[in-house]
Amino acid sequence: MFRRILTLPTGRIAVGIIAFIALLAVAGPFLAPYDPLEGGAEILAGPSGAHWLGTDYLGRDVLSRLLDGSRVSVLGSIQVSLVALVAGVIPGILSVYLGSVFEWVTLRLADTLIALPFLVFAVAVTALLGNGIPQAMFTVGIMISPLFFRVSRAATLSVARSQYVEAALISGASVGWVVRKHVWVKVLPPIAVALANTAGIGFVVVSSLTFLGIGVQPPAPTWGGVLAADLGYLSFRPWAPLVPTFLIMATVWACNLLADAIRDVSGEAGRALLLNRGRGHVPARTA
Amino acid sequence: MSLLEITDLDVHYRRRTGRLHVLRSVSLSLSPGETVGVIGETGSGKSTLARTILGLVKASAGRIAIDGTDVASLKPRQWRELRRRGVVQYVFQDPLRSLDPDLTVLDSLAEPLRIQGAAGIRDKILKILARVRLDEALLDRLPGELSGGQRQRVAVARALITEPRLVLLDEPVSALDSANRVQVLELLKELRDAGTALLFISHDLGSVAGIADRIAVLYEGEIVEDRPSADVINAPVHPYTRKLIRSVPTLRRADRRTPEGIPA
Repeated sequence: MFRRILTLPTGRIAVGIIAFIALLAVAGPFLAPYDPLEGGAEILAGPSGAHWLGTDYLGRDVLSRLLDGSRVSVLGSIQVSLVALVAGVIPGILSVYLGSVFEWVTLRLADTLIALPFLVFAVAVTALLGNGIPQAMFTVGIMISPLFFRVSRAATLSVARSQYVEAALISGASVGWVVRKHVWVKVLPPIAVALANTAGIGFVVVSSLTFLGIGVQPPAPTWGGVLAADLGYLSFRPWAPLVPTFLIMATVWACNLLADAIRDVSGEAGRALLLNRGRGHVPARTA
Repeated sequence: MSLLEITDLDVHYRRRTGRLHVLRSVSLSLSPGETVGVIGETGSGKSTLARTILGLVKASAGRIAIDGTDVASLKPRQWRELRRRGVVQYVFQDPLRSLDPDLTVLDSLAEPLRIQGAAGIRDKILKILARVRLDEALLDRLPGELSGGQRQRVAVARALITEPRLVLLDEPVSALDSANRVQVLELLKELRDAGTALLFISHDLGSVAGIADRIAVLYEGEIVEDRPSADVINAPVHPYTRKLIRSVPTLRRADRRTPEGIPA
């Protein structure tokens, strides 16, 4: 799958940007030239040799704050995606197999979660559980999980009624066997697409929440937090919001690009792209 | 003892508008090694009959015994155990849909054996490949990379791999072009001659007539005629059977009838 993504130019761009952001998340705090929490004498300075991206209203180095804040943003996004993945995919697949009561309950739960505005709900839950990135991200993950629920349920439904699954059942396969050998492979590509999409949503959410000051206590730097601080002093440094905005946008864009690339290479059309270029026929996807 | 004994089988589906009767008091039996054709038009309940025998559709009333076991009362777990023995297998109409597009031929063929937990899987697969005359090189291919006839032979091979005593064939040649149809029919004849009981379901009298010992005609969920093939073809009793025989293309009818001394 990964090798196939790299055959697409968009896939290479997406993987490149995401690798760069991941590198920032791992090495960012060590690369930061200054202490991101320590204020200096120069306040609201423009870019210079000493401070490449200038300093903020407390004289803190903006580059250091962005580098140091990348870890929180990336980890938050990963947490949102993983929570949504687990909370959505497992009931999504099981809703097809565990009978009508379970199906009804999970479907109504998913409807309920979709109906709630997740950012507002996340704010409310952090008020209840305490202000922290894990609490906020866990809540957002649960709120986004209906996306995974619906995607995996739809993919499972289309496979569960297929003749090759019936053929396996006729040979005495159990539900577990069917899910492992037939369902899982078919559900994986749409889930990968949804995962890349959610990672993008996760970035926006972490940035939005930290912009609002939720999830992170003020001195700790985050991309959204830096953006919020910059907006307060727009008249002094009008160009300043561009850098954190660009980071957030580039990451979200790369996640969406990756989602597109995964969709393009998955399934039989994708296999043909890699294996059969110009050779043999590509059958239409059935069932 | 019969291998398959169906007595007074009723199947109906519940619809909002009321019950939809698909099968009404169907009785049918198959001895070991016997080949029975079930003929009927679309909607006559042919596929439902096969699916009920396999336990994919629940019988509303009646009794189905496979090799002496009454399957109507089986719990899901007991069904799985029965199926794992591989006594009964099923060949679908459309091999492109009945083979997982993401599994290679090898994996598709191995699946029933792996479910059984059998040993010596590769040897059994090579043996079955020779039997359906497929090349070993095809083992690594996906169904989409095979021709229609090859695909259906893979589907037949998958059904044979557990050495079943009864194979249900649901329109096994209807999705194939005429060259492939002949190949698969030849294969089924060999299978019959090797002593496997076949229940051959089709809307096409032509493809069943040459292979079945007996023909049962299914009309609107009821078996209206169940007699030796030659009798059904030469002296149909039920008006529907007569209509079916008339609807077989003329050239083939002339072909088949002349040797038996009946003027076309």
